[in-house]
Amino acid sequence: MRTFCFHESSCVRVVLSAAAAIMQIGILTFVPDAALAHGERNQEPFLRMRTAHFYDVKWSTNEIPVNGEIVVTGKFRLFPIWPVNLPLPEAAFLGNGTPGPVLARTESYINGVPAIQSTKLELNRDYEFKTVLKGRVPGYHHVHPMINVMGAGPLLGPGNWLTVTGNESDFKLSIKTLSGETIDNLETWGLGRVFFWHGLWVAIAIVWLVWWLRRPLLLPRFRALTEKGGDRSQLVTSTDRLFGAGLLVATILTVFFGFQATDTAYPRTVPLQGSRATVEPLPEVPEQVKVVVNKSNYDVPGRSLRMNVTLTNNGSSSAQLGEFLTSNQRFINHEVSQAMATVDPNYPKELLPPNGLKVSDSRPLKPGETKTVDIEAADAAWETERLSSLINDPDNTLGGLLFYYDEHGKRTISNVSGPMVPVFTDPDNRTAENPKGGAG
Amino acid sequence: MQGGTSVRLYGLEWPKESARISRVFDLLVAAILFLAVSGAFHLHYMLTAGDWDMWIDWKDRQWWVTLTPIMAITFPAALQYVFWTKFRLPIAATFAVVCLLFGQWINRYFGFHLWSYFPMSEVIPALLIPGALVLDIALLLTGNFLFTAMSGAFAFALLFYPTNWFWLAPYRLPVEVMGQLVSVGDYISYAFTRTALPEYIRLIERGTLRTFGGHSAIIASFFSAFVSILMYLAWWHIGMLLARVVTTPNTLKNFMGLTDKDEPAEAAQKAIDGTSLQGRSVAAE
Repeated sequence: MRTFCFHESSCVRVVLSAAAAIMQIGILTFVPDAALAHGERNQEPFLRMRTAHFYDVKWSTNEIPVNGEIVVTGKFRLFPIWPVNLPLPEAAFLGNGTPGPVLARTESYINGVPAIQSTKLELNRDYEFKTVLKGRVPGYHHVHPMINVMGAGPLLGPGNWLTVTGNESDFKLSIKTLSGETIDNLETWGLGRVFFWHGLWVAIAIVWLVWWLRRPLLLPRFRALTEKGGDRSQLVTSTDRLFGAGLLVATILTVFFGFQATDTAYPRTVPLQGSRATVEPLPEVPEQVKVVVNKSNYDVPGRSLRMNVTLTNNGSSSAQLGEFLTSNQRFINHEVSQAMATVDPNYPKELLPPNGLKVSDSRPLKPGETKTVDIEAADAAWETERLSSLINDPDNTLGGLLFYYDEHGKRTISNVSGPMVPVFTDPDNRTAENPKGGAG
Repeated sequence: MQGGTSVRLYGLEWPKESARISRVFDLLVAAILFLAVSGAFHLHYMLTAGDWDMWIDWKDRQWWVTLTPIMAITFPAALQYVFWTKFRLPIAATFAVVCLLFGQWINRYFGFHLWSYFPMSEVIPALLIPGALVLDIALLLTGNFLFTAMSGAFAFALLFYPTNWFWLAPYRLPVEVMGQLVSVGDYISYAFTRTALPEYIRLIERGTLRTFGGHSAIIASFFSAFVSILMYLAWWHIGMLLARVVTTPNTLKNFMGLTDKDEPAEAAQKAIDGTSLQGRSVAAE
């Protein structure tokens, strides 16, 4: 007799390969890797550069126990050069970018207004936010502030790592209702009633199904209907009809009296709340330094963004360019001590490119002064954060914020935006693999 | 039923062994059908009434009440055609809805709760069984799909809201959160965040229905009941179409050297020779 395996060794190989394949599928299915971030790098650069710019973001801690609290605060500005292919933020919601509900959100505010409902936001205005989160699922979680904009999707702020320790089973989120009930834990509230009613109706349904399934079912019934001599009266008997009628009455009465009893048990209920909140932006601050982008290039082999800009100080104090912020990457000018002082030691390192910002003339811009400078933000982050793919975008306009500081450390912010031209080659033979150039 | 080697089932004589095999066949088909309908109905339902059914803060008095019965009466109606006309079984709606509920609970517990960390209180599926029982019994008692549509399908939608109010009411208690009035359901979904499903996505309590005053669920239920009648009729006929055994012309036979004109000749030859398929095999032996 011929068999599938001609030789024993072949057979063993086949069996082992099959076993390995099954194990791989099993591992991939049941032991997934933890999702370590939220796909922010997968968002197109135009989304990250020209929608919401988060700044001054702080995480109150980087480790909490289950039921412990972390407070995330900061500000965001909705960029005025909003992508034309996105709807305006007519409805926006302050979310939190976490791996699902591993943290429970207990409070959130935009400019002090509770953010439990969505709201309309304005472009070129700043908003302050605060979110209070409670540890729920132990683990190592990436926590971002986030603005969801209707039609544009989630716009993520910077993310920081948080360790949640303890046992998930210890988690509790309690609240007292306005009608006097104390809810010990929202996770399990009402489930007894859910299981009872679902279980009861499933049991009744099974009785109805078994009533019919206990008799010969498919072929005998089909033959009885289609062949001569079949007795159709036995397929549905008067007892069946009587039982059905009884069940019909019982069902309607149960629903009716169950509804009445529930209404009596919970006389004070409210519908779901679906209104919109009204949030005023922070007071408008006139842009002290006017920025005109004369030219901007993205040097592909050198992985650096170079801008030639003309700056005009229209304010009454000096202004020194300290930081360029785009896509949550903070390019800090190391020559400006006030800018360096704003960097929290606990701020995520991956969001602080080490080379920082190079400015051809870092001297303070005097009131009324205009000067043209070259700015360079060079870092591998352009590639690793997938921002360089802006060169493939049909609207390759870059966007970001420039932060200036006066001699007292007072900060002003300007928008910077302009078309970006890629540079694919250079005389030093630099490439993405060999950014220093030369013979390699 | 007779003694000896045969039994009488619904007036027809069956060899005992055939009857036994038929019963095994019943059980096999029931098990396969249960899984198949669970999967198919669940998929259909998630694509049409999905978020309203998934989340506790989507189950409003207007859209949830209107859409769910309309989308849920589809499979019961189609299956009722098959079960009733081919087998005289008035259990299709109950069977379909139990399958759906099974799929939903599997999905909510393993997918939403264990895999994605949502608490069960946020992801409870709707209950459709009482409406389905009434739909089945309406068909049993009337034996007519038109009357079943007008009475059973109407009741299927009308019973939906009161049936679910049994378990939903505790999630509509009022609470104060950050100085705002919300329901417990609102707060559960606010607290246990859906990262990519923000508040504004919810299509709840929209429209002018509630300007008619009072409880919009009642008006929504009656509207849903009316549309459910039409949906029932449409899906009964979809069931009829899908239950037909149809064949399509085999165009590939041309590539196998067969042509349409060969067939009559072959058939004629068979008739002359008196060879059937059975005859050939006998001859070969």
